[in-house]
Amino acid sequence: MSSLLNKNVRPDPRTKKCPFCFQKTPYIDYKDYPTMRPYIDYFGNIRKRYYTGVCLKHQKMLRGAVELARFMGMLAYRK
Amino acid sequence: MVTSSVKTSGTDEAVDTRLYECVVLYPHPFGEKEERDLLKNVEALFTDAGALLVSKDLWGRRGLAYTIGEYDEGRFVVYHWMLDPAKLKEIDRALRIEKGVLRHMIVKPPKKYQIVKYSEKYEQWLKQRGEEQHIAAQVEEEKVRERVAERAKRQLARTSERKKEKEPAAPMEKKELTQEIDKLISDDSLDL
Repeated sequence: MSSLLNKNVRPDPRTKKCPFCFQKTPYIDYKDYPTMRPYIDYFGNIRKRYYTGVCLKHQKMLRGAVELARFMGMLAYRK
Repeated sequence: MVTSSVKTSGTDEAVDTRLYECVVLYPHPFGEKEERDLLKNVEALFTDAGALLVSKDLWGRRGLAYTIGEYDEGRFVVYHWMLDPAKLKEIDRALRIEKGVLRHMIVKPPKKYQIVKYSEKYEQWLKQRGEEQHIAAQVEEEKVRERVAERAKRQLARTSERKKEKEPAAPMEKKELTQEIDKLISDDSLDL
């Protein structure tokens, strides 16, 4: 009842589902900028799993992809 | 892991090869002839090592996230080669020496890897994003317009109300006034 009343309250970040698991992504390509973009914040850091809802397996894949992309100058180390 | 055995002609020796991905970054303001030479040199490195070209993807001009060798913009080439793993080190060293190459990387593609041409995908994404931004800007503009119109309406209503308040009651006519005064004077209960 309280949740119905408070429509403006943000949903619990812990209840998010992994979007990569939903699409059954086998790997994350470092050349694929559009897919990596939402998981990187303004300063070029990788967003926390807690906020994005990515599972550990895919977060590790994402980290690897972002690191490769950073080396090739596609993504920033620090903005 | 993609592996295959390619038999070299003439000999019975089977060479184990596997898929490798090679990305080369070179600066953007780069002469056409120099670019052609560079690509030819890079491809020659692989073909000399007996590699088979699977795919080649030329990315256009891209902004770099940080300056590399005083360049803010660069161009990428993505190759996929079937290559003998023993010759990898040699090629890597040669690429490092190659003039005009800002960055290079040779990667073993992950399992279930599918070759995708990201140059096209990126352009599609750019277009889509541009359209989305355009639509969002239009929506925002409409909202602002509505807000301005509403405010103007409210302002009008307020000013008309004020005018009504300020306007004095219509002056009575002389006849009416005298009648009223007579009434008041004739009224005994007032006891003037």
